[in-house]
Amino acid sequence: MSTSGQDRPFADGFMDDYFAEADEHMVAVRRSLMTLESALGSTLPPAALEDLFRSFHSLKGISAMVELREAELLAHHMESCLRAARQGSLTLTSTNFEVLVDGVRMLEHVIAARRASTPPPSIDAMAETLEALGRTGNEVRTETPTANNTRTNEPASRSGGARWWRVTFVPSPQLVERGVKVDTVRARLMQLGAVQNVVPKVVPGGGISFEFDVATNDEAQLAQWHDDGLSYEPLDGPAPAAPAGAEPADAAVVERPLTDLTLAGSSNVVRVDLARLDDLMRLVGEMVVTRSRLEDTLQRIEAHVPFQEWRALQDHNGRLERNLRDLREGVMRVRLVPVGEIFRRMPFVVRDLARDNGKRVHLELTGQSTEIDKFLVERMMDPVLHIVRNAISHGIEPPERRIAAGKPADGTIRLAASTAGEAVILEITDDGGGIDIPSVAQRARSFGLVVPDDGGLDSRALLDIICASGFSTRDQADRASGRGVGMAVVRDTVEGLGGTLAVESRPGRGTTFRMTLPLTLAITDAIIAHVGDQIFAVPQTAVREVVEVDASLLSAFERNELMPYRGGTLPMVRLSHVFAMPAAHRARHHAIVVGSGQAALGLIVDRIAGQREVVVKTITDPLIRVDGVSAATELGDGRVVLILDVAALSRTRRQHSRVITGVSA
Amino acid sequence: MSETSVAALASTPAAAQAYILFGVAGTTYALRSHDVLHIEMLEHVTPVPNAPAFVEGVVFSRGQVVPVINLRARFGFERAASTLRSRLLVVQHDTRRVGLLADESREFIRISDAAIKPPQEAIGGLSGNYLEGVATLGERIVLVLSVREIVETVPTAVS
Repeated sequence: MSTSGQDRPFADGFMDDYFAEADEHMVAVRRSLMTLESALGSTLPPAALEDLFRSFHSLKGISAMVELREAELLAHHMESCLRAARQGSLTLTSTNFEVLVDGVRMLEHVIAARRASTPPPSIDAMAETLEALGRTGNEVRTETPTANNTRTNEPASRSGGARWWRVTFVPSPQLVERGVKVDTVRARLMQLGAVQNVVPKVVPGGGISFEFDVATNDEAQLAQWHDDGLSYEPLDGPAPAAPAGAEPADAAVVERPLTDLTLAGSSNVVRVDLARLDDLMRLVGEMVVTRSRLEDTLQRIEAHVPFQEWRALQDHNGRLERNLRDLREGVMRVRLVPVGEIFRRMPFVVRDLARDNGKRVHLELTGQSTEIDKFLVERMMDPVLHIVRNAISHGIEPPERRIAAGKPADGTIRLAASTAGEAVILEITDDGGGIDIPSVAQRARSFGLVVPDDGGLDSRALLDIICASGFSTRDQADRASGRGVGMAVVRDTVEGLGGTLAVESRPGRGTTFRMTLPLTLAITDAIIAHVGDQIFAVPQTAVREVVEVDASLLSAFERNELMPYRGGTLPMVRLSHVFAMPAAHRARHHAIVVGSGQAALGLIVDRIAGQREVVVKTITDPLIRVDGVSAATELGDGRVVLILDVAALSRTRRQHSRVITGVSA
Repeated sequence: MSETSVAALASTPAAAQAYILFGVAGTTYALRSHDVLHIEMLEHVTPVPNAPAFVEGVVFSRGQVVPVINLRARFGFERAASTLRSRLLVVQHDTRRVGLLADESREFIRISDAAIKPPQEAIGGLSGNYLEGVATLGERIVLVLSVREIVETVPTAVS
């Protein structure tokens, strides 16, 4: 049963599984705790109690298997508390609920310590408190026995006159390796007859065992499973028959927590190391580049190869392109995970911070199933956390002030995720006081930033200031921003991932941060355009259409040019202008129409070379992060081709025209 | 020939470091070889519009997008057309990877710390700002550069 020493690699692999599984259970624990907390003082939702009970139960089981005694003990006591709460003999109040929360935190520390191979924290005091709490429930229970707890100890229904056995299963890593786990054992026993009850027991000296009450006449079969860690003994006498009417309901009470009692979470989900997916994605990227080289070669040899042969090659090439596209989409889909992964740590953070700051905060989550690249999820965790922290420490007002302002005492923070085309939008909204513009302006001036005297800051200027590096030094000192990720880092992270950050502050009503992120990175379709002797790529997702431009139809307006377009006019931008390149004088150009509404814009280029799939390489170095360029790619010849940032180009144009109207007004 | 003697002269085993020597506009410069990831022949450089004037553009180096700083431009000399001898020194500074365009680069030597003197105040000019020290190797003067100073962006005035 012990794994000690003899088989290290196996034990190590086992620990990895343990940590992964413990993490999943801890997430479930936090979720249930949040649900319960919001219902304290009224009827607690039985499902949440059940879930929590089950999570502790599983944590106890798996911790016992890896011989992490401290975790096992904590989980055991919390399980007892929950059992008592479930049976109504322990009433959860905000006071003893805190005990549970502290217990969970301690449990987290214990697991984290094992993961870091450091000594576990001392759990004695906590274990004692939890035990006392669980016992309170038990004492009350013995005074007022309920129908439920008498039933949990005794099988109460019969199964066709079969004999009742108590089957004990002792799991071990060796058995798990052979595929014998508590859920497989349960499945086996259910084949044999009625399984009435499953009781996990912590055996003296550590470890865990499971007792199943099984009604079967097939004793021979039970005996055969001896090598699989099963032993059995007859139960004394046939169990008393339950009143027929009461049986279904009661049975449900007993069975429900057990149906999902699994030790090794057998499901058809595979955990994959992200690095392996990255390797796959990189390989796909290389194949895309190789294929475009193949295509170049095909174009070059067209004249030298018999037409039939060339056609065949071209067909294969076309098929290869489609296959690669499918392959890429397949790999990309594998990488997509629900954005809820970012959200699920938040309830705990919000809860703790609100308490520390003396505020009351209610957290709303929407769109958790929105899918986003795993890579992005990992990197967005800290920025989202930072904004949420800011919202609590600076945004949401203390209850007194909220009431005085005629708002509910509880502040609300809303985390929302949604998909828009090939982008994912994450919004963090609070209903606090909004950003304090005068004090922001004052702080900005003290940093030597230029701020208009009337304090009139538009959202962009406001964002620029709060994201100016050094601006959030004060935040870094307080606990709320303990990680020291300033807004500057938040914006750098978002933009580094090819996304954008926006802020909207409504004085007295709250603040919204909006992050727009690409659904996935790496490969995209792009329009390839020539300007002078340079080649640019424009992401297909940003392009509305490509039109031919007759130079004579362009009318100059101040520094802008306008073109008649669909019954209206379309502002035009010459890329050669924007990029200060020698302009080619020609009568006909092409324009790429991008954006919509106010942001609609025509980008004038010399020539469109076509559309193709490009591998996106982010540009991170400050020397080459210029407005209007978002990333780079290559088209197969090893040369860098810049990918245009359409949103930035359109923004620059709007800023220019604002300057112009300002002057003429 | 002279290289061997210089190396011999410079190598006091106690405190000597390896340097890459390269030439820009007739002057010999040195960078600690520790800072140089690799040296490449110059291929096509894609210009980046609106980047600082001393940025020649970008190249792919081992799959990464790397900015190319034209050292002639950085040091205030006239740009020169690249030749077969032109070299790109890819350096690492913190997490950044930057290419430095030099006229040529062929030597790898050890210079003892004692041979490197702090730059005199009198060495002015643009390249004076990037100097970490001056090494006198026999009759040759080598200017030891600071990667940090070259790579870190100076705010460029928008004209």
